[in-house]
Amino acid sequence: MTDTPTPNSISPPRQGFSLRPANALNREGWVTAALFLPPALLLFTLFVVLPMGEAAYFSLFKWNGFGTPEDYRGLYNYERLISRDIFKTALWNNMLVILVSVFIQLPIACGLAIILADKIPGGNIFRLLFFLPYVLAEIVAGLIWRFVYDGDTGFIAKFTEWFDLPAFYILAEQDYAMYAILAVIVWKYFGFHMMLFIAGLQAIDRDLYRAARVDGASAWQVLRFVTLPLLKSTMKLSIFFAVLGSLQLFDIIMPMTLGGPSDSTQTMVTYLYNHGFIRAKLGFGSAIGTVLFIICVVFAVVYQKGFFRDAE
Amino acid sequence: MQSEPLDPGLRKPWNFVLLYKYLVLGFVTLLIIAPLITTALGGFKSAADLRTNPFGLPTVWHWNQYTDILLGIDYWRYMGNSMLISAISVFVTLLCSTLAAFTFAHVKFFGKEFIVGYLMVGLLFPVATAILPLFVKVRDMGLLNTYWGVILPTSAFSLGMSILLMRNMFEKLPRELLSAALVDGCGYIRFFWHITLPLSRPILATVGIIAFVASWNQYVLPLILLNSEERYPWPLGIMEYQGEFTTDWHLILAFVTLTVIPAIVVFLATQKYIVAGLTAGAVKG
Amino acid sequence: MATVEITNIEKYYGGYHALNDINVDIADGEFVVLVGPSGCGKSTLLQMIAGLETITGGELRIGGDVVNYLPPKQRDIAMVFQNYALYPHMTVGQNMGFSLRIRRDPADEIKAKVERAAKILNLDQLLDRFPRELSGGQRQRVAMGRAIVREPQVFLFDEPLSNLDAKLRLSMRTEIKELHQRLKTTTIYVTHDQDEAMTMADRIVVMNTGVVSQIGAPLDLYDRPANTFVAGFIGSPAMNFMDGTIQGGKFQAANGSSWALPSDAKVTEGQRCTFGVRPEFVEAGGDVAAKVIVTEPTGSETQIVADMGGEHFTCLFNERIAAQPGDTLKIGADPEKCHVFDIETGLRL
Ligand SMILES: Nc1ncnc2c1ncn2[C@@H]1O[C@H](COP(=O)(O)OP(=O)(O)O)[C@@H](O)[C@H]1O
Ligand SMILES: [Mg+2]
Repeated sequence: MTDTPTPNSISPPRQGFSLRPANALNREGWVTAALFLPPALLLFTLFVVLPMGEAAYFSLFKWNGFGTPEDYRGLYNYERLISRDIFKTALWNNMLVILVSVFIQLPIACGLAIILADKIPGGNIFRLLFFLPYVLAEIVAGLIWRFVYDGDTGFIAKFTEWFDLPAFYILAEQDYAMYAILAVIVWKYFGFHMMLFIAGLQAIDRDLYRAARVDGASAWQVLRFVTLPLLKSTMKLSIFFAVLGSLQLFDIIMPMTLGGPSDSTQTMVTYLYNHGFIRAKLGFGSAIGTVLFIICVVFAVVYQKGFFRDAE
Repeated sequence: MQSEPLDPGLRKPWNFVLLYKYLVLGFVTLLIIAPLITTALGGFKSAADLRTNPFGLPTVWHWNQYTDILLGIDYWRYMGNSMLISAISVFVTLLCSTLAAFTFAHVKFFGKEFIVGYLMVGLLFPVATAILPLFVKVRDMGLLNTYWGVILPTSAFSLGMSILLMRNMFEKLPRELLSAALVDGCGYIRFFWHITLPLSRPILATVGIIAFVASWNQYVLPLILLNSEERYPWPLGIMEYQGEFTTDWHLILAFVTLTVIPAIVVFLATQKYIVAGLTAGAVKG
Repeated sequence: MATVEITNIEKYYGGYHALNDINVDIADGEFVVLVGPSGCGKSTLLQMIAGLETITGGELRIGGDVVNYLPPKQRDIAMVFQNYALYPHMTVGQNMGFSLRIRRDPADEIKAKVERAAKILNLDQLLDRFPRELSGGQRQRVAMGRAIVREPQVFLFDEPLSNLDAKLRLSMRTEIKELHQRLKTTTIYVTHDQDEAMTMADRIVVMNTGVVSQIGAPLDLYDRPANTFVAGFIGSPAMNFMDGTIQGGKFQAANGSSWALPSDAKVTEGQRCTFGVRPEFVEAGGDVAAKVIVTEPTGSETQIVADMGGEHFTCLFNERIAAQPGDTLKIGADPEKCHVFDIETGLRL
């Protein structure tokens, strides 16, 4: 019964590709793909990809939205955009949001996560409470805080009254309105970032802490040398969300200031809406959209590249 | 931080660290709920009461400010519009993304990675970048100021995240399950129907709820795509309302409170799914 | 029931040559075990037979028909998986009847078949339970039940017992064997455990890194391994190997020991070769000296690892031997039970 023994060597690999009729499984794969993919692809192409391409196209025209774009202006819209002060303010405001998210919100979120990742009595209730503002609509958060900031009736009014100061309308102050908005952003979003950090903390093997303690590390040293380094990828993720969130900031601004006073609280998107949509300058607005798109994609690509390289 | 003392016996009688923790938590809690509580109470106050006494309980409880809204038609119309738009958007999103995610997770075919990459582009930029051409497109399709005009773009922009979450989930199903089903005589389509779908109810719920919340709260798309108040979802409605009563804060606060309450109730009921979904989406980023 | 003919089968994963010219003919009703170290391509071959992997080259026939391009459902096979692959949302009964339901068999017929299979496997009390409510052994039996209700032409098993504890594994072995004797369905069974292969198979196919090393009945493989790989893989504890040369009609090992040759060995004076002695055929009282390193008594047997010129040498005695580490044993072996292999190719001489 013994066959002739075969030597245990592997013959040199040759191309594993042949032009035989496709395997039945593959054929069914094609059928399935052909049935299952079109709805998503169609919807996505029509309402996400095409509009983005059209934005780039429209941005080359001066166009009020009626008929078809005909008045070709080349890069004129971009030149105009870059020379505008509002554009710089908007970009800077977006940048401010990112800075505040990274240097104020992230440490707060991380710190609270460290407190709440462990089981402490009432921990779950605090988690939910802190997460609650994230679930509220941005419009609502904006409205509530416009009331809080109101110089006549809100919290600020009460404070000025206590200290006998003149009424102070912070959202009407060019120099302060943006900071007031930044506070609302932290208020609304730190809970989400805290949840990210809690998830990150819970993925850390508890034995590492025990090992570090046995190695003689103090609580601070454990935090400094074990916990924080292991949270690095969560931090990157948190920053990623903060940046993308900043670049689409709109809903909170609208009920609070509409981008005013004197355009001091415009962001890229409010700028696009106020100066592109409201004033029916579709070419100019599309140029803003295109710049925003390029910023998003460049950031995402660069960041993800760095992200995954580090993960290896 | 260490999770528990190495030896419970070493716990000090007075745990100052814990005390500090609660002080911090209490302070943050105050910052979170003070505006919310004030808002809810403000809805009961008269304008004058609100001006002199923003923090305390109302001197007179003006229930009628709430009941007027609840008995009026606007509030319910806004809520109904939001419900309709969100529910159909979620349905469309789930339908398209389960089918696509299943195909990506289980079916082998040439060009798959390319198509996945194509759909993931949607994750890179916000809706807002494309609102102008979207407006033109929806207008040219004759869908301006219709529910479908809002629903379709809403679903389209939530596809990327849904597909990502669901594909991750589908890929976690043991590969042997597909093998077993193929041997048992299923094709891909029957495997999808008999095995994948019944096993994915939790992820469908998660993705559905997240898409629902996003759509329920959204402002930009309806703002540019709807122009008659008849069709406004509640975020547009509330802006309309506050435009009408600019300085009558007590009325605005009552309206705000009435829109927040359902959101909080739903959030508490579904928080497991929401938190799981958001952080799971985060893991893959 | 059917024959399975595997002819010149090849498998490439991209540039990686996973299976190289596999040829196995399986008779109707035969129980064939594919055995080999993990990663050698057993599962790949089984999945190709099932239709779950594409076949890069060669021909696969089931019941005489070429099935290379048929999907799994048209091959009339059933398969039992290592992790059972039970559908978590279906009861035991639904799991077992699922393939029949897909086939659109009438409901009462499905019920009857499921009940019959359940009775054979002692699952009749569990039909309404869900897989998560079952023990490992019960899940394993459900997986088998799912296979047998179909009355397929061929059963395929992929390491079905490796998730069970040692005791359960032994009893399930017997159960599978009994089942085969009762149903007489052609069976291809994959395992990495040579003991399982030896006890269950009508015929064993030993595989090594993508090629078939030897095919034969269990005892043939044990008695006449075709090469050093099979010789070392089959049998436990593993065979002792020594390199050396033929001198004066005897094998002179490099470690200093000297052994008589089996009478059928085709060797020439001065040839360099590898000599193999199974531990269980080592006898006390020969002229080879070995220094005891470890003694491992199990009660009925004594296993001794000894040092022979710097190499380990394992002996298994059927009696109790009171040897201490450091003692020197005198051992030998019946030459007819020893093996000689070519030192270069590893082939039997
Ligand atoms: N889908 C695949 N793609 C690439 N290589 C694979 C794939 N499946 C298996 N292999 C490789 O083929 C070899 C044989 O695998 P397998 O048949 O699973 O081994 P066994 O079941 O004998 O342990 C392994 O080296 C494995 O890494
Ligand atoms: Mg295997």
